[in-house]
Amino acid sequence: MQSQQDQPHLAKILKCLDELDISALRRRARDAERELFNLGITFTVYTDRDAIDRILPFDVIPRVLSKEAWATIDSGVKQRVAAMNLFLNDIYHDGHVLRDGIIPAELVKANKHYRPEMEGVDVPRGTYVHICGTDLVRDEKGTFRVLEDNGRCPSGVSYVLENRHLMMRAFPDLADGIPIADVDGYGSRLARAMTEVAPHNMSHPTIVLMSPGVYNSAYFEHVFLAREMGVQLVEGRDLLVENDKVFMRTTSGQQRVDVIYRRIDDEFLDPEVFRPDSALGVNGLFAAYRKGNVNLANAVGTGVADDKAVYAYMPRIIKYYLDEDPILQNVPTNICGEPEGLNKTLDNLDKLVTKPVGESGGYGVVVGPRASKRELSRLRALVKADPDNYISQPMIGLSVSPTLVGRTIEPRHVDLRPFALTGESTWVLPGGLTRVAMKRGSLIVNSSQGGGSKDTWVLV
Amino acid sequence: MSSLVARFAANTFWLGRYLERTENVARILHINETYARDKPEGPDWQRVLDLYSESKQFHKNYKEANAQSVLQFYVLDRDNPSSIVSSVINARENARSVRHLISTEMWTHLNIFYSQMLEMGAGAITLSNLANTASNIILNCQTFEGIIEGTFLRTEPACFYHLGKYIERADQTTRILDIGYGLLPLDEGDAITSIQWNVLLRSVSGYHAYRSRYPGRARVEDIERFLLYDNEFPRALALCVDRITDRVRDLERRHGASRHSEVERTRRELEFALETGPGKEITPERLHGFLDRFQGLLADVTNAVGQTYFGYAPLESKALGNTKQTQ
Repeated sequence: MQSQQDQPHLAKILKCLDELDISALRRRARDAERELFNLGITFTVYTDRDAIDRILPFDVIPRVLSKEAWATIDSGVKQRVAAMNLFLNDIYHDGHVLRDGIIPAELVKANKHYRPEMEGVDVPRGTYVHICGTDLVRDEKGTFRVLEDNGRCPSGVSYVLENRHLMMRAFPDLADGIPIADVDGYGSRLARAMTEVAPHNMSHPTIVLMSPGVYNSAYFEHVFLAREMGVQLVEGRDLLVENDKVFMRTTSGQQRVDVIYRRIDDEFLDPEVFRPDSALGVNGLFAAYRKGNVNLANAVGTGVADDKAVYAYMPRIIKYYLDEDPILQNVPTNICGEPEGLNKTLDNLDKLVTKPVGESGGYGVVVGPRASKRELSRLRALVKADPDNYISQPMIGLSVSPTLVGRTIEPRHVDLRPFALTGESTWVLPGGLTRVAMKRGSLIVNSSQGGGSKDTWVLV
Repeated sequence: MSSLVARFAANTFWLGRYLERTENVARILHINETYARDKPEGPDWQRVLDLYSESKQFHKNYKEANAQSVLQFYVLDRDNPSSIVSSVINARENARSVRHLISTEMWTHLNIFYSQMLEMGAGAITLSNLANTASNIILNCQTFEGIIEGTFLRTEPACFYHLGKYIERADQTTRILDIGYGLLPLDEGDAITSIQWNVLLRSVSGYHAYRSRYPGRARVEDIERFLLYDNEFPRALALCVDRITDRVRDLERRHGASRHSEVERTRRELEFALETGPGKEITPERLHGFLDRFQGLLADVTNAVGQTYFGYAPLESKALGNTKQTQ
């Protein structure tokens, strides 16, 4: 899969790694992990008494992507984001896609992430998904395929930037003379995108990042991004709404807020409209948003576009809006909510990967060939009881990447999450988060399930 | 960067207070052990509890005030909100909330300090290790001060940080003076013979400073003048009040006098109280009355700042150790 011109670079990286004995590699890996602790780049697990800080395990062997492979990912992600935005704009306005029968109306309107409150609401520049994380895997043939779209509050980008800093400190020799695409521009790109979608085309909006607070497991990332963007990091309690305008409480009184990059789910945004028990949100925020006095990124109601069931229709959605074939293919998907898909799933439970559509973080995923008979019969009952809640996909021979495990280097399965920013146009961060399943043979890369990460080098 | 979110002003203020408190507690424990050994009955640990008026809280969980129990209570006891470990945890929690406003170096150092404190076991506070442990804690606080000096933007958060720090420092100095005058012998004329005066000076890093100010003299009113009025001595009340004034003026410049009036009023009362002082002839009662009043005035400034800038309801208690204010 690597092109001719990348060969010398790859050879050089390999040579450099070869020259390091395993103890030196382990020592540098330990130094890097200690640095993560000291920098507080941790997610926090709370128990009754203690707050335990854990780091996302970091593998020191970088994953290298060729220029050509990246070009495909870059254009494929842009295409996908464009289609998602057009789709969301359509379903919350005229609903052509539903009337033309491209996707079952019920699948959209009855989706738990569909927000009827958004019907008829115009968002600046028609951008709903400002920040998108697209999960990709590489199959047996070396082709990147889309496993999942994350169009709500995708997380993990801070690790992309921090992993790079860590690599450059721990292995300056490894990267020496290798042309690697820079990832540092993400924060300013994000701030620029937020400015482009400010209400009334204002040129110097006050942007804030809204976090659920220090107890959120991704709090480190919220801090990181607020710093990179140079904006205030607020919680719901720091904001208030008066006359459908949003303000933050500052030392000099109330200050108007124009754009909110919110890292909090739709349900918690505004107790007056969504969950009334939310202590994280702001009363009246949605009304201010509806009136166009403040913009939210991502928009409310984007969850319907990254739903695992809607995912199956994405190739048709791309074709419908853009009249283009998808640059990045889906993994073939059976929709259990449809009779054909249900039968296929139930007949092949032991061969397929079955996923609940409403879960994230890898929870509830059953890998057929690895599951016990009891697990499979439990799954069968679950799918039969609530078929709409499940999809299934064939096993993909997920690609592997060399990973330092104890005293040896072993192949471990990886995926890739590139991050796309959309204001006026779309930009994809050249790199993305490579997650690695640290357990031998495991296909689950989620951090909540013991996955780690790698620095991802895009050659330029 | 837009103006400062009120909650973050509070966070930086308490960050300053908690770290200042950490350093002072470590100092007092260290000095109490190291320099008060000459008394035949050994160091008096009850006096440390009296210093912070925490005898009651202490006796909830401990019986006798001895080296082991008091050191446990003030260094490692997480149930004691004024222990060093609690202060460091609170400092870090406050820092975490304003992580995006402070430098990476500040945060990294606080993290290292924090993990050291969490890993600390009973071995660290045995009498043979106490000096080392205390020096290390003090050094951690001082290193943090240096990092602040070199990396912290001199914007509003820094202003609140220093305001908190100097209010806490002034409070600590009043406590040290109070306990000193309450417990130390005054009945030997003007000459200070007791080594305990040296202990008192050393606990504020003032022993050599005092010697250079008053060579060959050691009189009660000199020590009083030194700790109250020497505005070149970093832990004297006068210097703390000067620094508080600087920060209050800074806030006034940023936010205008009208918004600021209550803070300025309480500050002026503090300044006035110091000018008037405890009166010409010091008696332990008079000094105690003055110091008590001064602690109350420091709490008034804190309240005024809290209500003006942090959106606080009035605080009830006047000492940090008793308020458990963990922003």
